[in-house]
Amino acid sequence: MIDAELALFLQQGLAINIGTRDATLAPHAAYAPAALVEPGGTHVVIYAPAVGADAVLADLAGNGQAAVVFARPMDDRACQVKGTYVSHRPATDDERSLVDSQWNGFMQQLEMIGTPGESTRTWVIWPCVAIRLRVTALFNQTPGPDAGARLS
Amino acid sequence: MSLGLETLTSCFQGLIPATLYTCAADGTPNSAYLSHVEYVDATHVALSFQFFNKSRRNVEENPQALVRVVDPDTQQGWELRLRLERSETSGPLFDRMALRIEAIASYCGMKGIFRLLAADVYEVLSVGKVPEQPGAPPPVSDRRALDAVFTMRALQHLTERINAADGLEPLIDAILAGLDEVFGFSHSMILLPGEQPRTLITIATRGYPENGAGAEARFGEGITGLVAEARKPIRISGLMRGMLYAYAARFRAEEAGWCPAERRIPLPGLANPASQLGVPLLVRGELVGVLVIESETPYRFHEDDKQTIELLGAYLALAIQNAVLQEAGEAADPRASAPTPGPAALAVPTATLALAYYRADDVVMVDGEYLIRGLPARILWKLVTIHAADGRAEFTNRELRLDKTLQLPEYKDNLETRLLLLRRRLEQKCPALQIVPRGRGRFALVANAAVSLVERP
Repeated sequence: MIDAELALFLQQGLAINIGTRDATLAPHAAYAPAALVEPGGTHVVIYAPAVGADAVLADLAGNGQAAVVFARPMDDRACQVKGTYVSHRPATDDERSLVDSQWNGFMQQLEMIGTPGESTRTWVIWPCVAIRLRVTALFNQTPGPDAGARLS
Repeated sequence: MSLGLETLTSCFQGLIPATLYTCAADGTPNSAYLSHVEYVDATHVALSFQFFNKSRRNVEENPQALVRVVDPDTQQGWELRLRLERSETSGPLFDRMALRIEAIASYCGMKGIFRLLAADVYEVLSVGKVPEQPGAPPPVSDRRALDAVFTMRALQHLTERINAADGLEPLIDAILAGLDEVFGFSHSMILLPGEQPRTLITIATRGYPENGAGAEARFGEGITGLVAEARKPIRISGLMRGMLYAYAARFRAEEAGWCPAERRIPLPGLANPASQLGVPLLVRGELVGVLVIESETPYRFHEDDKQTIELLGAYLALAIQNAVLQEAGEAADPRASAPTPGPAALAVPTATLALAYYRADDVVMVDGEYLIRGLPARILWKLVTIHAADGRAEFTNRELRLDKTLQLPEYKDNLETRLLLLRRRLEQKCPALQIVPRGRGRFALVANAAVSLVERP
């Protein structure tokens, strides 16, 4: 579902946020410093800091629906991955370097566009919960007339 | 109980993108980035509706929404639980949001295409901290720590300078110098109404490599033109972010055939401004000018800066208008304006200048390059031709005002501002030719070059 080019984009260090909803259709959200596209592109793993993931995990356990938005600050290229919940687990120490690497990539992007130097450095990025989703749909979200169009 | 929304105004500058979470009636969640969240009042925010997207459809079906913003001062993330209340397509809120979007769009050739369709107003049900995005206290600068006292003292210092200025030119220079030296706003410009309707002309700048005198801005274009058109202040804190967003939209719009390939308006001032603040200078509803301050720092102008400069704008407008009227009045008095020969009005020429006046275009060229057009061009041509004919170098504003060939408007001729503009333009583009004030309503033409004149149709 996610091709190689898109996988490269999604894993370069972007602004990543996961959205879910509860039984009353009220949204919840969590920030994610990193994501991994599994080989084959049918599943993604979202790394969300454990400290902010409770509501999202409860929603996922309840109805399984997720919408993850990825955006690149440099050019506002953005993509939304819709998915259904498969599982979650604490991220392992082996995954720490992946999270750090993407987080650093994101911070470099911010610095390139002149966002204040120390911005986001206070944010918690570890320990993370690794949330595995099955990809159900992909949408373009780059601003403009075709924002929201489904990606093939 | 107060939500504390009014303490989060820094979050609503668009510096760090916000995220919006909604859910369709069928239970499908949606996540999206937002260009801008607008503070409305202590219990409401507004989101810009520019494209009819999934988020917009979702809130029509299910009005519950969640928006996350980040405070650029502390980096604290905040979560606002919202409920869609109404959409506004006109009124002050809509105008304010539309103006900001248009200011950014105009730089990207997207004016009229990248525009606000509606301001969606949401009731804020709750406000909470985002636990994974904790903040840190902002670095305490001396300036911020002493805000109230500092602002009062700064205003006092600036008004003292302004009060000490004894004419239009020293007044305008005092304003820009004061903004720089007292407030630290090092890049600024003042534009006054141009000769053509709905135009502004740059009369003075500070902090740029060139003085920019004579640069024109049309109403509705760029921050200057939008301030003039709307007669409202505009502050853009995340200009680079906003422009990137608009460029992304423009690229897509071009692909979709929505707009021509090149309509971008060159940005005056800084090559890469990150923050801009534009304030209309109004006296009883009349636009006297526009003050624009800009910075390469993304979040340079805070809410209190905007309020201070807005307050100052009203005072500056009065001061500028008074100076213009005073100079015009004094110059019109024949007792004060008899020409008196000044010492060494003409220096020894050291080079040659070829001046040409093109009647049809009302333009003066110097050595083949554009110098100035309109009334300042006619004034310059009058001065140099008189000087060439009889050697006279001393002139009065009054004689110019009485000279029908100059075609000054009957009402509010703005002669003094045009003379100032001519002086500044000569300083920049033709320093060998100078207009030197000789006191109230008098000036001298000083040529440090041999001047040749040719008049063309």
